[in-house]
Amino acid sequence: MSVEVLAPMPGKIIEVLVNVGDKVSEDDELLILEAMKMENPVYATADGVVKEIKVKKDDTVDSDQLLIIIE
Amino acid sequence: MRQYFEKMDDLGKPLKPAQIERMKENRAQIEDVMKTIDAEVERVKNAGIPAETVRKRGQMTVWDRIEYLVDPGTFCPLHTLYNPTDNEEGMTGVIDGLARIGGKWCVLIGFDNKVLAGAWIAGQADNNLRVTDMAKILNLPLVWLVNCSGVKLTEQEMVYANRRGNGTCFFRHAELEKMGVPILAGIYGTNPAGGGYQGISPTILLAHKDCNIAVGGGGIVSGMSPKGSFDEEGAEQIIESTRHFKEAPPGSVGVHYDHTGFFRAVYEKEAEVLDALKQYMAEMPAYNPRFFRVAEPAEPKYPPEEISSIIAFNQKAGYDFDNVLARLVDNSEHLEFRPGFGPEVYTGLVKIDGYLLGVIGNRQGLLPNYPEYTNEYTGIGGKLYRQGLIKMNEFVTQCGRDRVPIVWFQDTSGIDVGDTAEKAELLGLGQSLIYSIEETTVPMTLVVLRKGTAAAHYVMGGPTANNHNAFTLGTATTEIYVMHGETASVASFSRRLVKEKDGNQPLGPIIDKMNKLAQEYYDKSRPFYCAKKGFVDEVVRYEKIRNYLVAFANAVYQNPRSICPQHHMMLPRLIRAEVVKGLERPPKE
Repeated sequence: MSVEVLAPMPGKIIEVLVNVGDKVSEDDELLILEAMKMENPVYATADGVVKEIKVKKDDTVDSDQLLIIIE
Repeated sequence: MRQYFEKMDDLGKPLKPAQIERMKENRAQIEDVMKTIDAEVERVKNAGIPAETVRKRGQMTVWDRIEYLVDPGTFCPLHTLYNPTDNEEGMTGVIDGLARIGGKWCVLIGFDNKVLAGAWIAGQADNNLRVTDMAKILNLPLVWLVNCSGVKLTEQEMVYANRRGNGTCFFRHAELEKMGVPILAGIYGTNPAGGGYQGISPTILLAHKDCNIAVGGGGIVSGMSPKGSFDEEGAEQIIESTRHFKEAPPGSVGVHYDHTGFFRAVYEKEAEVLDALKQYMAEMPAYNPRFFRVAEPAEPKYPPEEISSIIAFNQKAGYDFDNVLARLVDNSEHLEFRPGFGPEVYTGLVKIDGYLLGVIGNRQGLLPNYPEYTNEYTGIGGKLYRQGLIKMNEFVTQCGRDRVPIVWFQDTSGIDVGDTAEKAELLGLGQSLIYSIEETTVPMTLVVLRKGTAAAHYVMGGPTANNHNAFTLGTATTEIYVMHGETASVASFSRRLVKEKDGNQPLGPIIDKMNKLAQEYYDKSRPFYCAKKGFVDEVVRYEKIRNYLVAFANAVYQNPRSICPQHHMMLPRLIRAEVVKGLERPPKE
């Protein structure tokens, strides 16, 4: 089963901390989203393996935009 | 009430190896700051004449006395780097802190006899005021190591007069005694004039055989008879008088033990004075800890040393406050008050050394779908919004009702601003929190984990809460200012930029001023600056915060002025019963 990690608010991706194929646990930091002048970690919402990364560093994202798929 | 307190809810999580690895640079940055603080502390310890010179005279330094006097491992120094007037001595001439002596907690202060023989120097009056405030707020005995040569005469205008002069201390001693707070004094050396009152104003005076206390010293007595100006004949008279008084200074043990009886006892050796202080402290009224403990003391489940892998040195980066708190409190357990309401703020009950304390702290990170009063923007941790302010008001008030002392943790960028925030009553709710604190007579302490900013620094138990904040701790990541330096630059120069632009003038000079102001804000908000100016009372490593919390908890429960029986407390019941999650946000139009 796939789990989609979405952007919690509009912002800019300043760092992607995982690679495709990485094993992650719930609450692991996946990437850093700059929003509201702060650098905010976006966390894995489930255990699994990173199947797809839909964004890269410096991308601007909207609220609820798909960031990462965990399987 | 065992079912509420013995096993509370689990708090925090273990750190993941990836996080520990990623925070390597973070830990190094924190350590760099603490090395500069350590160097400053070492400078203060070595202020004045060398310790060996004092010891060769057969005397102990103030540091020797503290080490001998205090129960091992319990001294929590405060105001070490305090030097608000930037005096040439580089410190205020006194050393103080919380300490346990003879098994009882007290506020301890001693004159640094290496520095001008313990003179009154600039900044000391304010230091003494903080110390007497602590004794008052915590209802703790005050122990003085008196060794005071009186006013530094060449700078009398800096110490003697004014609403807060060094003499204020004597009125504060009288105030403490009136309130039933005892003051013990171990008296050493020559203590003329101001030094004499430092000696006479405490409750119990324990003297070393070579000490004296007097209204005026030999120098003053012999200087009272010149003709109005100095000449050769007058100088010869002064020399003769000085020789005499040097041999027999006024107010010696022969006068104040044998004649007036001011000294309760006199001791041959310096250490014997300290032994007597220990004995008196052991006899101080204090509850057995079991009277107030709600559980057996326990260390945190997670080590405090890990905090430097959690709190980000980068002020723009978020972190998990709950994980920090979990590394400070007994068994990493808590009871959170209204967890779903005001998510930008943590409020809850914890145990420190088995004692119940209330904790209030800023949470960090994004707050989607919050605050509830607007859809114009999204909430962010560190800021205060309507629900958080209401929750803190409620919690502080309930802590007052249940007589639970409070620990505040600040990392705040301020209260939400703008007309939307004004309509949400944030200005009024901020002042309401100040009212709630003032109305709630329980002791409080504050740790400024990172930012202490704007009115939020006031309303979240900051040291401006003179009647309640016993002491404030800073850390390697502390920064305190009214607003960020860049924000201040924009606020100060934005109109000027427009004016210059419209007048076709070069912008460079204004930009230079903006950068200069931002840099000044940075320089004057660092941990050392905060300690020097007294914005914080000490800068400590994260892993030492718990030591101070243990001292605070033991101090406030040693002999509290009022008591709420555990089985009459409402907070644990409110926490277990709460269901209120707050209001839904308005729908998007």
